[in-house]
Amino acid sequence: MTQPLVEFHDVTVAYGRRPVLWNVDLTIDRACLFGVIGPNGAGKSTMLKAALGLVPVVGGYVRFFGEPLARVRTRVGYVPQRETVDWDFPVTVTDVVLMGTYARLGWFRRPGRRERELAAECLDRVGLADFAGRQIGRLSGGQQQRVFLARALAQEADIYLFDEPMAGVDVRSQERIFAVLAELRDAGRLVIVVHHDLRTAAEWFDRVALVDMRLVAAGPTAEVLTPINLQRTYAGRVELLEELGQAVAERGRTP
Amino acid sequence: MTPWLWFSIRPVIASASGTSFGLTYNTLVVVTGVAAVGFAAGVVGSLALLRRRPLVGDAAAHATLAGVALAFLATGRRDLPTLLVGAFVSAVAALATLVFIRRVTRTRDDAATAIVIGVSFGIGLALISGITARGLPGGGGLEQFLLGHTAALTVRDAAVLAVVSLLAVVVVAVGLKEAVVLSFDAEFAAATGWPVGLLDLALVGIVAVMVVVGLPAAGAVLVTAMVVIPPVAARQWTDRVGRMLPLAGLIGLAAAVAGVAASAARPGLSTGPLVVLSAAAICAVSFLIAPQRGWIARRWSAAVLENQWSRGRVLEVCLQLSGPDGRDGVDPTAVMLRAAGDSWAGRRTASRAWQSLARDGLILPGGSGLKPRRGDAGNRWQLSNAGMAMAWERRRRIEAWNHVLDEAVESGRDWLTLDLPDPVDVLGSAVAPATSVRRAPLPVATPRVPESQD
Repeated sequence: MTQPLVEFHDVTVAYGRRPVLWNVDLTIDRACLFGVIGPNGAGKSTMLKAALGLVPVVGGYVRFFGEPLARVRTRVGYVPQRETVDWDFPVTVTDVVLMGTYARLGWFRRPGRRERELAAECLDRVGLADFAGRQIGRLSGGQQQRVFLARALAQEADIYLFDEPMAGVDVRSQERIFAVLAELRDAGRLVIVVHHDLRTAAEWFDRVALVDMRLVAAGPTAEVLTPINLQRTYAGRVELLEELGQAVAERGRTP
Repeated sequence: MTPWLWFSIRPVIASASGTSFGLTYNTLVVVTGVAAVGFAAGVVGSLALLRRRPLVGDAAAHATLAGVALAFLATGRRDLPTLLVGAFVSAVAALATLVFIRRVTRTRDDAATAIVIGVSFGIGLALISGITARGLPGGGGLEQFLLGHTAALTVRDAAVLAVVSLLAVVVVAVGLKEAVVLSFDAEFAAATGWPVGLLDLALVGIVAVMVVVGLPAAGAVLVTAMVVIPPVAARQWTDRVGRMLPLAGLIGLAAAVAGVAASAARPGLSTGPLVVLSAAAICAVSFLIAPQRGWIARRWSAAVLENQWSRGRVLEVCLQLSGPDGRDGVDPTAVMLRAAGDSWAGRRTASRAWQSLARDGLILPGGSGLKPRRGDAGNRWQLSNAGMAMAWERRRRIEAWNHVLDEAVESGRDWLTLDLPDPVDVLGSAVAPATSVRRAPLPVATPRVPESQD
């Protein structure tokens, strides 16, 4: 039997004593465009961070290719949310893309010609070849996200994890990013994308997982995005809001 | 050495060496040593600044005083390397305390730093004043570590400082790639397998080393400025890490040499304040005149933008007032009124724009080609052909820009995230004064704009 590409086994994550994600059991066994969908604060990003060891898990484990992450790290690419870095940092677009090659280079080795050619090629794939020498702060939001995408491409990984790559990005960049993700999938890579927009989710992803602090459902998009599942994922919030509204109306002030 | 530089420092060297003329071996070595320290402090400080930990050095620096005193009490010796080893140990202890407070008590970073600075400095002062009060043999002069005093440095001391500084620079040069990936995106660094905790530790460690080595030059209170100010100044001039580090080093070197020279020229002056003031002067100048990031550059480009905008506005008003066939002619007063309303500041800008348009020949004093008008008061102007073209171009661009914005609204996106090279240029290059370099027109949604009406 072949190993699954990614396996979440009973993963539970807590910030302080409050669990934000519990008992997530999820196996992805073939390359596809995989969407992790859910409302804000549902623990979608936490799921990726737990997989990458960036937040401690209370219980459970995540395996890639049947191995712990530490043994297959160079085969896993990661794109954090754009807001996590200081865009005034004094580096150029090419410098950032080259960071994708650093893990493979290892300690103290500098990127050479091969890496520079790879970086240029990755920039070309995301449509930013003309911006190679620019300081990263002098780009639009969509362009910045594409720089991150190019850095991930330069990792030459087999599994990619994207954290909200479409947030705050203009339509043209969204289309470009999606096209690159689809290319990766077609080249046999597994692409996991945290995404919050239900409208686009249905048309973009082959398979999805609905997450709301636990795994609500996972599987082929058409089977998962059913009214009942969506109700189970999102409706709780709506009720909560209604209750809050009633409480406010009854007391005549904010609770 | 250029002659003017020689003449400017000759009296300094002369007074430092105690002879009427020439450079003693001793002075030369001390200046070289302190210059190396200044260079390394700038380079290492750049990393601390990029990692957004500029105050780590401050905590370490204030703690060094206690280490110096304890090293003296423990060994009874006052040679520099011994005291500096003590300083390093106490700096590391202070940083460990800092981490401990932050981890265990959940105190915020800035508060924890303030606590460590205050307490460790208090301990150091108490120990030093105790030693001075007891009059322990050789204990006098320890307070020189408070403000820095290079005059007391021996050749061997200076050599030690220089060697350690060079080692620090070499370490930074070797680990630059790792430091940059850590500072730019620690989360990505961790996800791709870099030991973020270890790298941070190394960074803090090397900052501590630099602070200790900088002690004789700047003293415990001010040495942190040697680590922070040169990088901040260097950042003004460049957008590349690869250039920022050596530049920060050179600024640190210049400040250190200037400080040492000045303190040698006036015996009794502490080196530290002079080094820091020199660095601050360079930094202030950088804030002012650096290209792009500097205050003047930013004010200048804002003024250029304002000028371009009001030129465009005046052209537009002229176009509106000159009638359907453009042959009505315009009255400057009416143009000013329509372009600026009753704001005096607006009118001043508009009248300046009017003058610059007239200078560029875009508006001409009227006469030929104008339709005759009854009761002609005389002061009638008209748009030249070039002015007319420019006004239409501006209209076209505004329409194009509106079109882009409409599209953004339709698709529910914030226009700030639009994929445009430089939004402010949409109007600017259409109405730029003749003297400025004309840039190629932008491809802003040009194909989709309805053909202009002319």
